[in-house]
Amino acid sequence: MSTPTSPYTPRRANWPARNGNAGESLDLDPEVFDDGFGFNEIEEIAWDDHPLTQNAPQVETVDPEKVSVAVDSASKIYRIRSGSEHKNSTKRIGRHLQRALGSGWSEIPALDELSFVVNRGETVGVIGTNGSGKSTLMKLLTGKIRPTSGEVFATSTPVMLGVNAALVREISGRENIKLGCLAMGLSPKEAQKKFDMIVEISGLQDALDRPLKAYSSGMASRLQFAIATSVDPDILLIDEALNTGDAQFRSRTKKRLDEVRAQAGCVFLVSHSLGTIKQMCTRVIWIEQGRMLADGDPEWVCAQYQEYTDHKSNGRMRAAQIVYDRTQLKLSPIQVEFIDGTRPTKAG
Amino acid sequence: MAAPASERHRPSFQLGPQRVVQMDGDQLVRVGARPGLIRYIRNIWAFRHFLQYDAHARTSSQNNLDSLGRFWMVMNPLLQAAVYFFIFGYILETHRGIVNFIGYLIIGVLTFRFIQGAVVSASNSIAGNQQVVQAFNFPRACLPISSAVRELFATVPTFVVMAVLVYFIGDYQIADMERANITLDWKWLMFFPAIFLGLMVMTGLGLILARVVANYNDVKHLISIGTRLWFYASAVIFSVDRFADRGHDWIITVMYYNPAFCILDIIRDAWLYDGVGEPFRWAVLGGWAVGAMVIGMIIFWRGEETYGRER
Repeated sequence: MSTPTSPYTPRRANWPARNGNAGESLDLDPEVFDDGFGFNEIEEIAWDDHPLTQNAPQVETVDPEKVSVAVDSASKIYRIRSGSEHKNSTKRIGRHLQRALGSGWSEIPALDELSFVVNRGETVGVIGTNGSGKSTLMKLLTGKIRPTSGEVFATSTPVMLGVNAALVREISGRENIKLGCLAMGLSPKEAQKKFDMIVEISGLQDALDRPLKAYSSGMASRLQFAIATSVDPDILLIDEALNTGDAQFRSRTKKRLDEVRAQAGCVFLVSHSLGTIKQMCTRVIWIEQGRMLADGDPEWVCAQYQEYTDHKSNGRMRAAQIVYDRTQLKLSPIQVEFIDGTRPTKAG
Repeated sequence: MAAPASERHRPSFQLGPQRVVQMDGDQLVRVGARPGLIRYIRNIWAFRHFLQYDAHARTSSQNNLDSLGRFWMVMNPLLQAAVYFFIFGYILETHRGIVNFIGYLIIGVLTFRFIQGAVVSASNSIAGNQQVVQAFNFPRACLPISSAVRELFATVPTFVVMAVLVYFIGDYQIADMERANITLDWKWLMFFPAIFLGLMVMTGLGLILARVVANYNDVKHLISIGTRLWFYASAVIFSVDRFADRGHDWIITVMYYNPAFCILDIIRDAWLYDGVGEPFRWAVLGGWAVGAMVIGMIIFWRGEETYGRER
């Protein structure tokens, strides 16, 4: 066995250890041990009926009309500049050089390979603890960053609706609204039309002509969110947006969000609020430690997630790990294949 | 956090069945893919309002922090011209052999300031605007183009000051300076096509540099050295003839093919010497404008998918 990452090892014979080559301990030819090892008493596991062998995957064909988003084994490793990277460097000369220059690359794996297909009309919740890779997945979906491996396909470019729209600090709120609208590809006329709506949602009528640096952070994020809602995308991503602002703002945005959601073909909702997720979503994807753990029924996934976070927050690491492993065991990973010659390459 | 790259593996087990989903990909597009060049340029055209508004909004807020506000847009170039005049004209006496030296110097210094500013701000536009790049989906070429245009907007007051100064004191004589009469006529309008072609050159160069700087931040340091060198290779504060006397003919060749020198020479010819610019200068400048724009656009477009990454 190679070094396990978790202290927990499942005990049941047909539960292979989580990491490394579980096969080493289980997959040995039983005949070798037949004499004296007592292997005859152990119930034989029908390996071929078992999906564990992965020999014959089930092939499904989906209706191309219905597919909205297809993620084909996309993964992401951030590669960023870092001044303290020399501490991790293994090569001696390289380490000294990096130390002297105070520069180096640091690799931060954010997302393991994952694949899924989302159909039109689905509302997909994305949950996971902080730093699990939810936001990275959202960025991959909108095409703002490129996956390190794999690709993301969609019927049209998904639009992220969140609190990260860029604002220019020096210019007034009014100008920021116009700039944001134009940056999202609206024509000046459309921007003019949306203007009143954005002001109303943001509730910043009094502060419109102040430069943005005079805004409080809450006001700025309200403005960002209001600007972001001015588009009517077909594929919509909502990132934590429901949790911004005070109660008054939330009730105002709810109406607009419902409108946008109603006309969108497909919605991804990232939230920490399980209530919202269960209420709105038809399907939930749980991402943990950069890996997709579960993809399915909201009630069930949320229950697992709840249990996991409960254990985690009470310091019961082993119990949390059990939930983690147990949930992953249920996952039936998919592999996306395109009928010959139809793999999309063109731009959206 | 996911496992580090070296320890990556497919999960060694899963209880759920492995599934393969087969589909017809005709309806789908790859998210974030770079469109064809023609389509890309059309996209930029569709975003022209954004481009223009961005340039405008940022120009008008440029001097917000100063108590004198936009007054500096006029004052700054004036002071700069005065400094250069004092050092190079008065102390170092580079004016020998130049007719209307004051006008010559003013046009050189102020126009080159625009040229340099446009290239530098365009080359920083991607690296310095990561927030905007990651927040919105627009053709990234909008940013360098908008930076160059913004620089033009910001320089308009400077150009007005420049015209006024040249008209009133351009032929002023100090000591032994030579002078020719400056007259205001239609030839002054040659300024506009020259600046327009200049803007195209700057944008093209800016597009190339923007991609390089986005990938290798180190190049930023070289750009400031490069523009300094360019400054001296453009005959901003002395005349080309100085080199002819000393037999450095190759420098003259370099200058004649230098777009910045062409711009300066055309404007000087039109404003100070009552000409319309030598045809050769126009040809070189035109060639640079078209060439830089086409090559810059292609180079920038090819890197379109790389600009949003974390740095």
